[in-house]
Amino acid sequence: MAQQPSDNRSRVSRRDFLKLMAAAGTVMTFAPFVDWGKFLPNPSGQLRERQKVELPDGSQANVKTFPVNHSEAVIYPKTKDLVLNKESFRVWQFIRLPEELGGNKNDVSAFRMYSQVCLHLWCLWKYWPQEGRKRGECPCHGSMYDPLTGQAFAGPASLQAPPNNVLPRLDLEIDTQGNMWVKPPNWSVNGNGIVGFGRFLT
Amino acid sequence: MWIYAGVERTIFMGLKFTFPGRFVSPLGFLGMLTFVLFIILGITGALLMLFYEPILDRAWNSVQTINDVIPYGFHLRNIHYHASNAMVMLALLHMYYQYFSGRYKIRNEILWVTGIILGVLTILEAFTGYDIIFSERAELAISIAASLTNSIPIMGPQMREAFFGSGFHDFVLRFYAFHVFFLPIALLGLMVVHFPRFLVFDVPMVMAISGAVMLVGGVFPVDLGLRFDPNTPPGITVPEWYLTGLYSFLRSAYDKFTTGVAWPGLFIFSLLIIPFVDRYKKFSWKDRPIVTAVGITGLAQIIVTTYWGFYIDPDRTKSLLERLVIDPIFLYLIMILLVPLSFGFTYMMIKLAKNAEANAKLQPKKPSSGAKSINLPQNWIFVVFIALIAFQVYLNIAAYYAVLAGMKNYSLFIVGIMMLVFAGMWHLFRHGRSMEKAPPPKPVVPPSPLKAKPTPAVTSPTPPLALESGGSVKPVALGSPKEEKPIANPAPARGASATGTLDSSGLTKKSEHLTLQTTENQEAKSK
Repeated sequence: MAQQPSDNRSRVSRRDFLKLMAAAGTVMTFAPFVDWGKFLPNPSGQLRERQKVELPDGSQANVKTFPVNHSEAVIYPKTKDLVLNKESFRVWQFIRLPEELGGNKNDVSAFRMYSQVCLHLWCLWKYWPQEGRKRGECPCHGSMYDPLTGQAFAGPASLQAPPNNVLPRLDLEIDTQGNMWVKPPNWSVNGNGIVGFGRFLT
Repeated sequence: MWIYAGVERTIFMGLKFTFPGRFVSPLGFLGMLTFVLFIILGITGALLMLFYEPILDRAWNSVQTINDVIPYGFHLRNIHYHASNAMVMLALLHMYYQYFSGRYKIRNEILWVTGIILGVLTILEAFTGYDIIFSERAELAISIAASLTNSIPIMGPQMREAFFGSGFHDFVLRFYAFHVFFLPIALLGLMVVHFPRFLVFDVPMVMAISGAVMLVGGVFPVDLGLRFDPNTPPGITVPEWYLTGLYSFLRSAYDKFTTGVAWPGLFIFSLLIIPFVDRYKKFSWKDRPIVTAVGITGLAQIIVTTYWGFYIDPDRTKSLLERLVIDPIFLYLIMILLVPLSFGFTYMMIKLAKNAEANAKLQPKKPSSGAKSINLPQNWIFVVFIALIAFQVYLNIAAYYAVLAGMKNYSLFIVGIMMLVFAGMWHLFRHGRSMEKAPPPKPVVPPSPLKAKPTPAVTSPTPPLALESGGSVKPVALGSPKEEKPIANPAPARGASATGTLDSSGLTKKSEHLTLQTTENQEAKSK
């Protein structure tokens, strides 16, 4: 019985040990390259700082001036490259909710900012403020979105399983002058969502 | 001559090229034809790269410029498109031929497995190709591909981000990178492994395939599609034919991962493992009933779903959703129904084939002479040749005028015909050479059934070709020079039939022999 441990020890021969060392060495040598996989995804959407909500006319959106039950297409993140600014995946619908949904309050709760890329097949939906509509509608296959939550309630997008049925949403904040800013996003289905793929409603 | 000596040190000495001296069934060298199309695609694709711009707002416009403005851009684009379809089609035929004739056995497993991977990559290559036009259809295809990747459990979202990047700008650029570099380089690398040692390069068949591609391009020029605009509803678009099978499953609106990733994955996986599952000792489809039946089932399901994917209810009063969605219960029911049907069909075919075999054995052998070969007298070969050359001259002029008149597709069509005529000329040429070599096709001895068999061994030094595809054709004398040594090299045929990679290996050594000898002759003459 006492010899048992020494038996076990002798089971690893010199040759096996050498092989083990070689394997360990190889793993250690190539381990850093695993992290290099981060090269592949495009990091351009990862912003650390808040950004202005820049309206199409170039001004920054302001709580005091932005009309109720109204929407604008906002580019986020905006670049200096005109081509990239045309990218659907950077187009967001900046909405001030209608009065009955609390749009006349002068705080962030009156505003929504959803990705304009329809979750069905990536056309650009937009908000229709007309009486009786007051919802997001996609021109392509007629998906409709609830402006309050960003959830699709009609059309093909509404038939998709979560998280593919709720629009990605950006978080906003208002400074003392009433200017509106976009908070740094968390691009995941449990955070702000993934453009074109949706988010879980929390 | 020193070139020949130099070649000895290269990889090419491992390969044995055969240039058949007569018509051989292309079934045996479909792989080589696929490779030829790959080369055609490489050349036309490289030329298209000079004008294509993989940028979000320019991709479609640059393709339009290639199509409408650049001289011969239309031709190259059409050849590129139709050759891609032909390549996928030939790869599929190649695979199924190998499948049903049991060629993946006898240590060909590596060839088979790499072949399946090559096939998948070929489809991906074709897929990324039509996506970078960035038309409406391309956008739909990209969005479906991205959402399928995204639907993969655990790693899906990361894979999507890694492969696709984010946004249309990335999609176009990355698909372009995949299309022109990553996938082709992977294809080439796998081809090195996939190439068997014995290869057939049949010039007439190669030219005929190229001609057919151009001809089809002339008759059915590919359209550009509408430029993708995220603000206007796209028309109903269907993917390319090699993906409509998958599309029909997606249209059943059942879970994306199951329909779009798991099913095709299962199909590819079962193809990958088939050589290791197939335990039959024989090769012929007739002797491997279960494997054949499984193959027929898969084929039937592919054909049905491929058609189904194309079919869209023409009733315009219904909503788009109603027209597009395929009832999953109906779809899967049909898929299941096809299983007993295919098994029954296979059973019947095997029965019939075996009966036919038995009958053929009972009846006295009909000498397969007569209708088989057309033997033109020597002079008439020249006449036909001259007629063909005259025809080529006419076609040249016609093609030129067609281009001048702006009838691009007509000129492409004519060039296709010219390729076909060239294929005919080459065939006539080799036929004439073989006639020259073995002049009268043996004073037709009314062949008694007893004598019919041994004759070929006498007429030609080549060992009786162990052909499956070549069929019952007697080894006609090849176009080799006269002073050929009769018993010099019949040996290598054994090696070939042992590995079974190639049908007409008997031809191999001879043609090599031929090229060497002709150059020797030339040298002698020049001295």
